[in-house]
Formats: sequence, C-alpha cells, structure tokens
Amino acid sequence: MKTKWLLLFVGLAGFAVLPWGLGVYHQHILIVSLFYVMMAASWNLLAGYTGQVSFGHAAFAGIGAYASGILAAKAGINPWLGVAAGTLLAAIFGFLVGVLCLKLGGIYLSLTTLAFSEILHIVINNEYEITRGTMGLQVPGLLSEYSKLGYFYIFLCAALLTLLVVHRLIHANMGLNFRAVQNDERAAASLGVDVVRVRVLAFTVSSALAGMAGALYGHYLLLITPHIPSLDQQFLVLSMTVIGGLGSFVGPIIGAFCLEILSEYIRVYGEYHVLAFGVVALIVARFAPKGLVGISKSVWERRRQAALPAVPVTDNGKGGARRGVT
Amino acid sequence: MKKRWVFAVLMAAVVGIALGSVPVQAADTVKIGVVGPRTGGAAATGKAFEEGIQLATTYVNANGGVLGKDLEVVFEDTAGAPDKAASGFERLVTRDGVAMVLGESHSSAALAEIEVANRLKVPFVVVEAWADPITAKNYRYVFRAGPSNSGVVNDTIAKWVVHEGFKKAYIVAENTDWGLGIAELSKAALKSAGVPYESLVTERKSQDHYTELAKIKAFDPDVVLAFVYGTGLHYFVAQAGEIGLTPKAVVLDGAGPPSLWPDFWTNVGDYGNLECFVSSMHEKVELTPLATAFREAYVEAFGHAPTDYKSRSIYDAILIAADAINRAGTTDAEKVVDALESTELLVTRGTARFGTEKGGPEYHHWMPPMLVIQWQDKEQVVLYPPEAATGKLKR
Amino acid sequence: MLALSITNGLVIGIIYALTALGVSLVVGIMNVINFAHGEFYILAGYFSFLFAHTLGLDPMVAMVLSVGAVFVFGVVVEYTLIRPTYGDELYSLILTFILSIVLQSAYLLIFGPYPNKPPNWVKGATDLFGLFMYGNQRLAALFAGIAVIALFFAMLKLTWFGRMIRAASQDREMAELNGINTRRLNMLSFGLGCALAAAAGVILSPVFPVTPTAGVPVALTAFVCVVLGGMGSMWGCVVGGLILGLVENLGAAYVSTGYKHVFMFVILILVLLVRPSGLFGRSET
Repeated sequence: MKTKWLLLFVGLAGFAVLPWGLGVYHQHILIVSLFYVMMAASWNLLAGYTGQVSFGHAAFAGIGAYASGILAAKAGINPWLGVAAGTLLAAIFGFLVGVLCLKLGGIYLSLTTLAFSEILHIVINNEYEITRGTMGLQVPGLLSEYSKLGYFYIFLCAALLTLLVVHRLIHANMGLNFRAVQNDERAAASLGVDVVRVRVLAFTVSSALAGMAGALYGHYLLLITPHIPSLDQQFLVLSMTVIGGLGSFVGPIIGAFCLEILSEYIRVYGEYHVLAFGVVALIVARFAPKGLVGISKSVWERRRQAALPAVPVTDNGKGGARRGVT
Repeated sequence: MKKRWVFAVLMAAVVGIALGSVPVQAADTVKIGVVGPRTGGAAATGKAFEEGIQLATTYVNANGGVLGKDLEVVFEDTAGAPDKAASGFERLVTRDGVAMVLGESHSSAALAEIEVANRLKVPFVVVEAWADPITAKNYRYVFRAGPSNSGVVNDTIAKWVVHEGFKKAYIVAENTDWGLGIAELSKAALKSAGVPYESLVTERKSQDHYTELAKIKAFDPDVVLAFVYGTGLHYFVAQAGEIGLTPKAVVLDGAGPPSLWPDFWTNVGDYGNLECFVSSMHEKVELTPLATAFREAYVEAFGHAPTDYKSRSIYDAILIAADAINRAGTTDAEKVVDALESTELLVTRGTARFGTEKGGPEYHHWMPPMLVIQWQDKEQVVLYPPEAATGKLKR
Repeated sequence: MLALSITNGLVIGIIYALTALGVSLVVGIMNVINFAHGEFYILAGYFSFLFAHTLGLDPMVAMVLSVGAVFVFGVVVEYTLIRPTYGDELYSLILTFILSIVLQSAYLLIFGPYPNKPPNWVKGATDLFGLFMYGNQRLAALFAGIAVIALFFAMLKLTWFGRMIRAASQDREMAELNGINTRRLNMLSFGLGCALAAAAGVILSPVFPVTPTAGVPVALTAFVCVVLGGMGSMWGCVVGGLILGLVENLGAAYVSTGYKHVFMFVILILVLLVRPSGLFGRSET
C-alpha cells in the first residue's frame, strides 16, 4: 500500500517539473492535455459511474467559459472571479438539467442533453453582439504576464482538484451509491439508495467541474469561441474516456493524455486526427469496452494467474452433489 | 479470444501508423508560414493558396532564394475558425520556427491571429482578410497586402452602385467580422451617396434562403449586395433566381471567390448568369509584367488559366516577404518589420507600399485595385472601373 | 409570405417524416437509437452524386442504386457493430455516436468539404396559386416523399415482411416464440431504416446539397420527430414531421431566422416534460 502512495507521489512530482525541460510548444500540449483530463474525468463521473450518457458536457464547459469571458471582457471583472462565477453558473445549469432528466432514462436523457447542447450553441451564435459568436470573444488571461509555466501549474492544480473531487465522490459513502445506481437502479432503489439524489448530485458536480475547466481554458487561450461547447469537443472527451476506460478512475487520465499527444503527431500530416480517434474509439468500444485500462488489467490478471502454482485437484470427500449420484 | 486478437492487431496497426514515421529533417531553408482555410467551407481558397504558394516558391528560389538559402513555406490549416487560427499560428512559430507568417482569408481568424503575432512578436502579413480592425488596431507586427473593407466599399462597390445608377439597394451580410463590418461601411457609403437601402443578417452556411429572399423581393431593389463568403452564396443566387428576384435585380457577390469556385455552376445552374462579383484579377487587366508572368506560369503548372484571384494574392505576399527578409539581411523580427515598412516592390497587382499613417486602417496597409466583374454567358466581363472595363452591365 | 412558409414547411416536413420513419422502425424493433442515421442520409446523397456525375448514370437509376447501396451498408453496420449492443442502450448510444463522427470525418476525407449536388430532375420554378414562385425540384421532392411514405405503409400493411415487423415491434419475445428469426429481422430492419434515410437523402439532395456535416441536424430532427410522434408509432412520425416542418418555417418567417432550429429543441423538451410518450405513442412500462 505504501509503495503505491510513494510511486504516486514521485510520479506527480516528476510530472510537475517536467515542463521545465520542454519547449513552449510541448508545454502547450501538456496544458491542453490537463484540460482534457478535467473534462474526461468529470464526464466519466456521469457516464461511467452513474450511467447517464450526457452529450451536453461540452456545453457546460462552454457555459463556464462564456460566463467568465463575458464578465471579464464586457464588465471588466477579474478573470479569477470570472472563473468562480462560471463554475457556479455551470453548476446551476447542471442542477437544472439533472432535475429535468429525472424521469428520463437512457435514450431520452442523451437526447435531452444533446438538445440542450445544441440550443446553447445556437444561442451563442445568434447573440453575437454579446458573445461575438463565431468571430470569437477575446478575453484577458489569468496571469497579467503571459507565462506557459504559470498556466501549467494553474491547470495542474485544477486537474488535481477535479480528480480529488471525483475520487471522493466515488469512494465515499455516496460513491458506493453511485456504482450501485449504475449497475442496477431498481436493486439500488430497493436498498434505499436515493437514486434521484445520486443522479442530480452527479450532474451538478460534473457540470461544475466542466464549467471550471472551460472557464480556465478560455482564459488560457485568450479567445473563447463556439468551438468549446461544440459536438466535436464532446466527441473528443467521449472518445478519450472510452478509449482510456469508461467507468475506471485512471481511464480518462490515460485517454486524455494519449489522445491529445497523438493528435499533435497526426496533425503534421493533416487534420486526420478526428477520423483516427473515431476509428480507434470504435474499435475499442466494439472489442474492448473497458478501454486501455481494462486491457491492461486483464493482461495483469493473466500474468498473475500464470504465476500462481497449479492447484492440485484433491477431493477430501467434499465433492458434494457433483460426485456420483445418490 | 478471437476478439482480443482482432483488437490487438487493429490497435497495433493504428498506433504504428500514427507513431511510425518520423518527420524528415528539413534541408537548410528559410521557413515562412502561411495560414489559411485548407479545410472547412472555404477550402477552395486553401487550394488557391496552395497554387499561389507553389508558383511563388518556384519564382523566389529561381531568383536567389532568401538569404542565400531556399525558401520553404509551411501551410497551416485554420479552417476559418478563430481558435484553430490562433493555435495554428502559434504552432507555426513554436513548432516549425518560421521567420514570419502570411495569409488568412477569414477576418475573424485574422483578428485572433494578430493577437498571437503581437504577443509572440512575429511579423504577420495579412493577405485576404478584409475587416478594418486588422490594421486599424495599429499593431507594429501586422501588415496587410490586400483589400480592406473600407477600401473595397469606398473605392469600388459604392462607386460602382452610383456609376450604374441603381435606385434601391439591399444589403445581405453574414454574421462574421467581415460581413458585419463591410455591411456597416456599405450602409454609410450608400447613405452619403443618397441611395436608399435595407439590410438583413444571414448565416454563412445556411442552405435555405427562401424566407429572406421573400423579404428582399418585397423591397424590390435594383441591386443586392450579398456579403456571404461561402456556399451559402451559391444557394442564395440559385434561390434568388427561382423565386424571381433576379434577373430584375442584380446580385453582387461582395467577396468574389464563391462565384469562382469550381462548384459554382453546378450549384447555381443557369441562375448564375448575369451575377456580378468583386475580384482583383482578370486576364485583360494585367497591370504589371509580373501579372502576365504569373498567368503564364500558372497555365504551365496547372494546365488552365487562373480563376481564383486569391492564388495571386498569396503569390504577391510571398514575394513581399522574401524581399523584406533579403533587405533586412536577417530573420530578426524587428529588422524584418523595418524592412517591410520600407517596401517598394513591383508585384502582380501593382507596386506594394505599406501605409504609415497611424490611427486608422491605412496603417501598414497596401490596397490593391479591385474590379467588378459580371458573368455573361460564362465569360468574365469587367464592368468597373471604367478605364479597365471590357463590357457593359447586362440585365 | 404565409403561403410560402406553409408550403416550405410541408415539403421539409414530409422529408423529416421520411427520415423519422427510419429511426422509428429501428427503435421499435431493436430498441436501438442510431445516432449515425443522418450520415446514412448523407451517404445516399453522395452516392447519388457519384453515380450521376462521375459514372454518368441516369439520375433516377443513380437514386435507386444509391438507396440500395446504403441499404447494404446498413446491414453490414448492423452485423459488425450493432449486434453486440443488444439490450444495452448506453452501449449502442455510444457506439453509434462514435460511428456518426467517424463517418463525418470519412466523408470529409473522401468527398471533400464542398457540397455535392446530384443533378436536378426538373428545373425552373412554378407559379403556385398565383401567389409566389416555387422551385420545381422542391415540388418534386414533396411528391416523391409522399410516394415513398405511402409505399412504406403499404409494405407494412400488406406484406409478410411488414407483418413480421409489426409483430416484433409489439412484442419481441412472442414474435421469437412464434418462430420469427429476430436476428435476421433485426439486420433487415436496420438496413431498411437506413434505406428510408437514404431515400430522403436522394430526394432532397438536389435541393440542399450534401456536406460532410449536414447529417447531424437531419438526425436530430428525426429524433425529435420520433419523440414528438411517439416511439413506436409510424403515423406519429408523419404527423410529427409535418408539425416540425411547419413550426420551423413559420418560426423562421415570423419570429427569427437565426433561431429556426431552436424551436425543434424546445418542442422536444416540452414533450419530454409533459407527455414523454408523444402524441401517439404507447406509454413505456
């Protein structure tokens, strides 16, 4: 147990000093990866742990980004306060959507979140006088002096915060309820788990985290566009989670880093990364639904099994009903 | 078991392809970046840019190259989206190490890019993004070797409307920085010219314009100034014909390239006849010997005459960039900017000279002459300016 | 203006209905929502363009071949991708969503970003009721759409296959017990659902040329139609489609062109809140 924590600490420390040895371009990749870690982890909370496949996750990031951006750009509010406001607003909308989707399951929930996402997209585009729509809203940064390293540490802290929140929710008392709800709702309900409360809580928290991620991202890019709350972004987040491992804790982290780094490689050849990820995600979803985490787990398991000594088949008369007919 | 095998093989293949080939180390060259829409709704412009880049690179390298080395152009896709534009611009500078960046044909993308150029202190010569604020912001590192909205409206479109004696006008603008900007300027120009007008805003990607066209037809204008840079324009023209708005009213494509894209006639059919558009290139209006040389080189390389004027625009920009770096004697940004400011170079559209007056869009701006052209039986006929006209407006 | 909007609404509405029928069929039989439904519509448009332009076939032949090709493609997709998702709603949602994006990117790569327009069957415009000019191709689309829908309902009522579909969508277990090969039925139904989308695609693509991403709003509208009309109800789709088409066009004309598509989503949310089973649907037990 202790070795696990030590490894984790060393790994984290190593990662924290990594950008010092990298160029500006690679630092940027790390920052974007951390953004996706936040998005994927919070989406995973919703879809992987409570079984609510929401297609509106990117929309909540958009709410956070635009709320913060508009406050900063039009009302001159400090971006840090803006981020807090954005997170709060996203949480409120998440709560509302969660309540709206109470009685809906599966397909209906996905459709409603998709509808929510599209409505937001259209509103952003149409109200271009406030949001500047597709033209993009220019916003001030979080740091008065632009520094990639500075942003890296901001995102690192935010990502750790996100992961911590998700971890607590899953592993605390509430968390067992989360998993119970996902596996069998009726059984969970019969055991007294407040299904409704779990679902709405998941929606609210997950949306708040997405809102925070979106707001931070907007102030990093210094430009907020309707791309943030777009179906393309939703797809990226979804495929990162699916490929990494839906329903596992580390899955989204692995998926986010792998896909973001891979997309930069592929970009040299052209904008094929969406197609490439889509194909990989399709293959993974079809043949290995537990993602990379699931695969590595099963490889690990088989190695362990192979290492165990063969159990001799003895029978001390405890064969039971199988032996012979009486 | 079988599932795992299939999966493993497929994954290995994909990962292998993705990571397998390492980008080849480039030879010793001077790199310049180009930003533009290689994908997206205006990908035809990206194609035009590619052609111009090819011809310009050949020309520059045949005439001494840049600082004694070969010129290499890296073309980054921005798809007309401001977020892709900003990150693409930054990638050119940080990943590819370009000396300066040229291009862009979407104003919203350009406005995002100039911020990055300013932050990274990299010279940026905008080619075909017309919104005034691009140079009106007076950023030291930003230049424009191409049309601006105010230039196009005040020098060409407004004057043409008056020249043809149109009594009523309708302005249709897409909701982008370019569309809204040029619409505002057109309204102001028409007002001072005493031409009554009405206007509406539309979606660039929209396919169904029937409702909007009904409104326009009710106003009964002589000319419709359509500021839509995308295939939305094709549907607009086609549907304007269907509901009978044209040929009574004349439609002007306020950007130009959509009327020149290869699928224009497929999408618009016969309704494209008598449509007018803005352009900076016509075979019979070649202002400098370089323009003729460009056309001949184009025909030799691609087998047909050039149609999209944006290929020539990027060609000019590359020549200007190479000239500036050569005169600066270095790729140091400050010296290149100084060299750009003192540019006096003969290119295809005239002699390039950047404005020095601060406070407005004329700063660091060179405005090339623009033409109004009409499709008459699939032939391009120049209508304006009168000195360059090859025919008259037909209705 | 009013007459124009209503006519436009009806034309679009019929096409929405046709697309929605495809979705409803698959949902009714397999309980699977195919997020990539719009992409099959687009694929048919692309095929139609390819066959007519590049291969030079007669437009009508090109259309029929396109529908056939998409049908086959649908069957293949069902066999390779959808099969393992039986019974798991979420899994099929995720899979078909990914498929939708993959297809969109593939179209971009293969066909390019420009809209591709199969040739018109008829050109010009007619003067309708002396009130306004209306494109002939749109009128042709209206009649073609009605014809295909009528054909589909005839098939449902009169053929053996139709009866199997009705049986399976009412009670799957009973159908299986009565000897219907549900696996084969699923495959064919999915293919048929895609073929219906394809029919809508070939009918409307001469009016609104296809682009790689144009399938998304098509699929979304189809889903809203199905929810509005009621899951499992075919007539509901038709009524739902017409209502949506009218609301969209009247809304665009009198309220706001920019918010045209929002009306559809507002309707969706209202329906889900007030009467989730839709206008004609059975209440879900």
